[in-house]
Amino acid sequence: MKRRDFLLLSAGMLAGCTLPPRLAIHRYAPGMAEGHALRDRKALPAPSAELHTDVLILGSGIAGLTAGWRLAQQGYQDFLLLSGPEPHGNASAAHLAGTDCPRGAHYLPIPGMAATQVRELLAEMGVIERGAGTPAPYYDERSLVHAPEERLYQNGQWHSGLLQPGNADENAQIKRFFALVDQLKQKRGSDGKRIFEIPSALASQDPQWRALDRITFDAWLDREGYTSPQLRWYLDYACRDDFGATSARTSAWAGLHYFCSRDGRAANADNDAVLTWPGGLNPLARYMQQRIGAARALPGLAARVSERQGKVETLVWQPQQQRMLRIHARRVICAMPLHVAIHVVEGMGALGFDAQTHMPPHAPWLVSNFAFDHFPSEAHGVPLAWDNVVYGSRSLGYVVATHQLIRAARPEQTVFTAYHALADNTPEAARRWLQQASDDDLYQLAATDLAAVYGWKLWQNAAQVEITVRGHAMASPTPGFLSNTGLAALRACDGPIQFAHSDLSGFSIFEEAAWWGDAAARRILRA
Amino acid sequence: MDRILVLSVFVVASCGLAYELIAGALTSYLLGDSVLQFSSIIGCYLFAMGVGSHLSKYVKEERTLAAFVEIELLVGLIGGLSATVLFLVFAWASAPFRSVMYALVFCIGVLVGMEIPLVMRVMNARQAEFKELVSRVLTFDYLGALAVSLLFPLVLAPKLGMARTGLLFGVLNAAVAMWTCWAFRRDIPQLAGKLGRAGLVLLALLTAFAFSDKLTTLAEKGLFGDDVIHAETTRYQRMVVTRWHDDLRLYLNGNLQFSSRDEHRYHEALVHPVLASLPWAKRVLVLGGGDGLALREILRYPNIEHVTLVDLDPAMTTLFSTAPMLTALNKGSLKDKRATVVNADAAQWLEGNAETFDAIIIDFPDPTNFALGKLYSVPMYRLVQRHLAEHGLAVVQSTSPYFAPKSYWCIDATLREVGFNTWPYHAYVPSFGEWGFILFSKTPNYQPPEHYALPMRFLDADSTRLMFQFPADMRRVQVEPNRLNSQSLVHYFEEDWHNVLR
Ligand SMILES: Cc1cc2nc3c(=O)[nH]c(=O)nc-3n(C[C@H](O)[C@H](O)[C@H](O)COP(=O)(O)OP(=O)(O)OC[C@H]3O[C@@H](n4cnc5c(N)ncnc54)[C@H](O)[C@@H]3O)c2cc1C
Repeated sequence: MKRRDFLLLSAGMLAGCTLPPRLAIHRYAPGMAEGHALRDRKALPAPSAELHTDVLILGSGIAGLTAGWRLAQQGYQDFLLLSGPEPHGNASAAHLAGTDCPRGAHYLPIPGMAATQVRELLAEMGVIERGAGTPAPYYDERSLVHAPEERLYQNGQWHSGLLQPGNADENAQIKRFFALVDQLKQKRGSDGKRIFEIPSALASQDPQWRALDRITFDAWLDREGYTSPQLRWYLDYACRDDFGATSARTSAWAGLHYFCSRDGRAANADNDAVLTWPGGLNPLARYMQQRIGAARALPGLAARVSERQGKVETLVWQPQQQRMLRIHARRVICAMPLHVAIHVVEGMGALGFDAQTHMPPHAPWLVSNFAFDHFPSEAHGVPLAWDNVVYGSRSLGYVVATHQLIRAARPEQTVFTAYHALADNTPEAARRWLQQASDDDLYQLAATDLAAVYGWKLWQNAAQVEITVRGHAMASPTPGFLSNTGLAALRACDGPIQFAHSDLSGFSIFEEAAWWGDAAARRILRA
Repeated sequence: MDRILVLSVFVVASCGLAYELIAGALTSYLLGDSVLQFSSIIGCYLFAMGVGSHLSKYVKEERTLAAFVEIELLVGLIGGLSATVLFLVFAWASAPFRSVMYALVFCIGVLVGMEIPLVMRVMNARQAEFKELVSRVLTFDYLGALAVSLLFPLVLAPKLGMARTGLLFGVLNAAVAMWTCWAFRRDIPQLAGKLGRAGLVLLALLTAFAFSDKLTTLAEKGLFGDDVIHAETTRYQRMVVTRWHDDLRLYLNGNLQFSSRDEHRYHEALVHPVLASLPWAKRVLVLGGGDGLALREILRYPNIEHVTLVDLDPAMTTLFSTAPMLTALNKGSLKDKRATVVNADAAQWLEGNAETFDAIIIDFPDPTNFALGKLYSVPMYRLVQRHLAEHGLAVVQSTSPYFAPKSYWCIDATLREVGFNTWPYHAYVPSFGEWGFILFSKTPNYQPPEHYALPMRFLDADSTRLMFQFPADMRRVQVEPNRLNSQSLVHYFEEDWHNVLR
């Protein structure tokens, strides 16, 4: 017996020279402690300083940043941007293994004609090189996703594209679905607007089409005879990926919106190309932050926002300085998520928003950055792509942070970012699970797809993993979300307190957040 | 007497572990993935040892000593030659490599598994006390293993290499067999036959040991056809230099890079249409070209004050600046005072550097995969643009306009997309066939040289004029530029060569 052990040990030691030490797991829950303290209404210290500003933006996610970017761009001087507990919110990034990597949003589809402010931003950054106002602008190729863009792991092999052909009947269904998508992309409602549009605020109000919001996407698919398992898995994947909810919980309108709203084109890329950077969408946030300027950036979070005689008084807690500020502003743009806003902004009810009935469900997500010392060796088929998805998985695959580098040889280190929406349960149940989950539990979930693809090589090649836990990551568009009167009321707010956040759309993408931020800034500029 | 047996246990244990380590190390070296290779080999080996121990009970009591000798000889022969055999198999065909390797490991394991039980039985029969016996055998068993586990990675593998380490342990096994025969000559039937066989095995192993270098070279010769004078696996590629009479050849990952017989055609065509037209040029950048051959041509111009050469692989530039046969070929260009060699990824270096150059010579490997395809893309050429002087010239090796027309014209289209003026040309290089280059610049007024001030072996006024003309079978084809989003070039290149090889 001992001889065996010895052989094992000595050979293991020899091989072990190439093994990293045990994987270090780092759990990161941005804003959780702060948010829960606000919810629990912990007693607030008295303010120790006062500040005056004309406009105060609360939150530095894409919505808040877009508002600030627009104000700065138009020469508006007197405003401050409060970062909130997490600078850049869902568009933030980490730096691991020598590369930036996303902690949330990672790509932006080529914007269509309606997303004017997004195009304007991209042109200002130089991402659109020319023709920002034309249907197919010319983009800086470094930011367009490089081939191979995506691949699917099925039956132990990698295939190109996310939807593999099946039997004749399945293929007919797939063809029928995408033919319908192409048709609906062009379709306009009775008011002359496109039925599905990004930003959704510009979509048609035609009740005939908005009726789709009364049923779930699954119910609609069943009704229309889409039964192919391949197609249904793909559509469910798309809903979980974009909305954090399964197709069984997603509104049929939203499910179709995902496919039918995108009509962006580029002069120098395929129409379905996306823009991406190693840090996901973080460079867009950083650009806007820099445009706003360090002098207008204020660290800290809003603890109380109250309207007093047509002005707004905000208590701001600055954890680093351990002090409370009182900021007087003529107008406030509340760019924090609504589940936080209801604990911070006084009198939301009076504005027409009732937390009990109007709060959109917020899906919990894990964004897990696996830092690799070496690229793991790959199974047969299409080589490593930017987006790598596992067929049949309940997780959402992983993107490669170093994919966009122009290199003949791979860098030694890289980061794979694995996405997982906890969509198989209600958001509340999933959050309860997260509250008690151990690091190992989280790791198991985070590594679902990577483990399926690489097995023990994951353990061999990965050096550390950072798991970003977002308990209320994004609003999910469940049936009825289009007729949420509370959201409609907040969207229309034009008083001393305005709102700007992707929550106002009822679903969360860059363009929606940017739209509401821009809308708020424009209202201020107009006044 | 027992002391001899115990000593042989020590040797036998070292050999047993050595074969296992060699198989594991060799396989992970050839196939990569060391944890997988090691664990599966250990698994297979231990299981086989179990089988061996089990089989040992079928050896009749009176034959234990004889069986031990036979087994030692077999282990010595099979184990000793295992690494060499594996090398040869891998060189000729990699498909059956795994099966052969596991079969070998299994055989060795079974034989090694029989050794210790047999020794114990021999000693037991010689009335050693059981408690004492077990303790002594196992102690020396472990000691032997310990010795090898240290010697193997620290001394043997680096000094002797896998093949010869294997043979060395084979010799030890055979020596134990001989020694045992001699020490127990009275107890062993058919002594002469055994000694004779032991002698044969020893002879075979020693011969293999003496010629093992030749054998591995032979193995690579099986791959390349010629004598291999240098072979190395670097972090980036497998680099092999061969020679046949006066023809030196460089292969990277099995693809021919040059043959010394006609490389002058390639490198004259690559360098001189640019530099002969730039008598004022002082600073040149070479991207790729770690063999120093393009550099040799550049340094012939006395007006060139400085050349920066950026090549990914330090192993390549080191080899070509030190190996005498190769420095004779590139005239020691990489060590020239006027040259600076940088080992870096070209795009990364261009991104982080602000210098401009009067001429840029680009000699990258063909776009056979997505990573290499990026070196021929719009953003890459934009980077080049930032480093090229306003009136400077640049050239890129661009695959074959004859065999790979879509790829060739795709590179031209990519350069134009960036806004360059291009002058495509081609030259016949016997070992490659008709080969293509594209000369490009920011300004539109380039004229191919009509004479060369320096003596040339290949280029003259007539051949230069012909180079810039494209006959009907190499005419421009309409293709998309190589955009990173679609990487059309990689697809074209695959299509083109698929058509040629069909
Ligand atoms: C995992 C994940 C992946 C995603 N991927 C994509 C993608 O690929 N493409 C895409 O378009 N969209 C994606 N999204 C959607 C993403 O949410 C939007 O693109 C966008 O970043 C949302 O911006 P926002 O401003 O609406 O909200 P948030 O990003 O939620 O920003 C809210 C801000 O409010 C601040 N805040 C919170 N509390 C307070 C307080 N008390 N006081 C002051 N400030 C406070 C926060 O710190 C934060 O800065 C993804 C979302 C997630 C969760």
